[in-house]
Amino acid sequence: MSALMTASEQPPRPDGRVSTGVPGLDAVLNGGLVTSGVYIVVGEPGAGKTLLANQLCYHQGRAGARCLYVTLLAESHARMLANMRDMAFFDPALLPEGVYYVSGFRTLEEQGLPGLLELLRREVRNHNASILVLDGLVQAQEAAGSSRDFKKFIHELQVAAGLARFTALMLTSSNGPTVHPEYTMVDGILELRERTLGVRSWRELQVRKFRGGATLTGVHTFRISNEGLEVFPRLEARVRRSQPPAPDAARVHFGIPSLDDMFPAGLAAGSTTLMLGPPGSGKTLMGSSLLAEGVRQGEPCLYMGFYEAPERLLHKLAAVGMDLGDAARAGRMHIVWQPPAECILDVLAHQLLSTVERHGIRRVFVDGLSAMGQAAPDGSRMSSFFAALTQELRYLKATTLFSLETPRLFGTVLDMPLEVGPSAVAENLLFLRHVELEGRLRRLLSIFKLRDADFDPSLREFVISQRGIEVQPPFDSTLDTLLTGLARRASGAHP
Amino acid sequence: METILVVDDEQGILEALADLLREEGYRVLTASHGREALERMAELRPDLVLTDWMMPVLDGPALIERIRGEAAWAGVALLGMSAVDVGALRVQYPGIPFLQKPFDIPALMRQVRKALDGGGRASLG
Repeated sequence: MSALMTASEQPPRPDGRVSTGVPGLDAVLNGGLVTSGVYIVVGEPGAGKTLLANQLCYHQGRAGARCLYVTLLAESHARMLANMRDMAFFDPALLPEGVYYVSGFRTLEEQGLPGLLELLRREVRNHNASILVLDGLVQAQEAAGSSRDFKKFIHELQVAAGLARFTALMLTSSNGPTVHPEYTMVDGILELRERTLGVRSWRELQVRKFRGGATLTGVHTFRISNEGLEVFPRLEARVRRSQPPAPDAARVHFGIPSLDDMFPAGLAAGSTTLMLGPPGSGKTLMGSSLLAEGVRQGEPCLYMGFYEAPERLLHKLAAVGMDLGDAARAGRMHIVWQPPAECILDVLAHQLLSTVERHGIRRVFVDGLSAMGQAAPDGSRMSSFFAALTQELRYLKATTLFSLETPRLFGTVLDMPLEVGPSAVAENLLFLRHVELEGRLRRLLSIFKLRDADFDPSLREFVISQRGIEVQPPFDSTLDTLLTGLARRASGAHP
Repeated sequence: METILVVDDEQGILEALADLLREEGYRVLTASHGREALERMAELRPDLVLTDWMMPVLDGPALIERIRGEAAWAGVALLGMSAVDVGALRVQYPGIPFLQKPFDIPALMRQVRKALDGGGRASLG
């Protein structure tokens, strides 16, 4: 089994942990909440706190636990339940035995924090609850006569949780500082927030404090759907620290004889290749050739693309003699298509890695690395993200080819459209380009780098026809500056 | 004037229901849980108890059981209300009408009138 858990999978749960039922969150928490711990979930209104707490309750309720959900001036229970009805985790059959809702607001108003504490202790005991949610901690904080009183309340709740063996989750809005000094007494603090850049927004979770073990540090993306919350742990934080397995002795070919002749030993199985080229230079067909050959060899293959829908892609490939339709229908060739709008980087990584792992994919072609890069609002993590991604793919023994579109059609400058060096992404580097020669545009191919194998460094023209791709003999040696896309005769040379 | 005891732990709902029923001409008592409801009933016997189901201290089922077990309160009309699926509660507690939360005002008033007119009487045993 891969040591990297996909968001839908949960790690083995150590004893004394409470599963949250939120995919990906237990992985962030290294197994879940600690039994009898007291936790604060903080976030602005609409951040997903109530949803998270309910998801936990119904998950635990399904497993036979009893959960007590106490509200303080929150939305009415009827409205809360109405909002939950469309959620996949919601199960009305668990009410009221599995999940029990009560309001503590009047008790808080009339009897203050001591009365509320007594209510919590008594109701936990009456319902034999192992999970307590207190929704609206900010009301309790406001009702406290002093900071000391509030600390005392939290301390006494911790004592009660330890004695009665219940795990408490207290939800609070973030007004002013996210983490009040009083909050530092609790066993853990989870912060939920929504961030916006331009017109785009996304949700983030961060474990600000956690007693009882290491957690995945930093910021993790989460999303809310009818399935509830789903956390996508930041890839770099969960990547394996051990050495990848030793390289496989097997070699991988494109299945294009004239191209494979340029590096007879082929690509190392499990290696990563970056293919650079401007629009229309043949990247999709070249990469798909690698997959078509994999299908011929009986290897499960994956195409992950952003711009062409699966049917359109298959039609385009069939037009050049690469009929992968049957393989796609038979599940030997998998296609993940993700339109580039509003993508989340860690969701894409999850899609890619979980598909590779689930289907034992041996060859991967990610067609459009820049679309993946655009899914990250913060470009500063790209190098570490792609390093982590390629390392995981190596662990999974998938031979991977990334295509990356270069913005300039011609010129002496080669732009890298990502804030990442090629060596962070790939061991092998292919370069495609248009070149103007003798009054027409031709496609040029060059191998820049190939690790652990000899290769032909000459510049080659390649032709795309109904028979597929054919690589031509090396260009005329009297031609210079082919890589700029504008060829010219070397001085003194005659055509 | 008929007297209705409204029992709900959610303060906002309790106050809203009390106001609505007073506007309809009923005398209204309020309690935020079952034990408080029993204290109110000891002071003034209501004609109808309109009670929530999930509450702290003493919940709806326990309150109903206590009312049914007390001879002095025989004949008090009972009406349950809950955010939980009341279909299952109707099966579990036959003879007690239930309002499904959230409800609209006309439905509330119809059910209250119906209960006062004879549906859902508390009886011994």
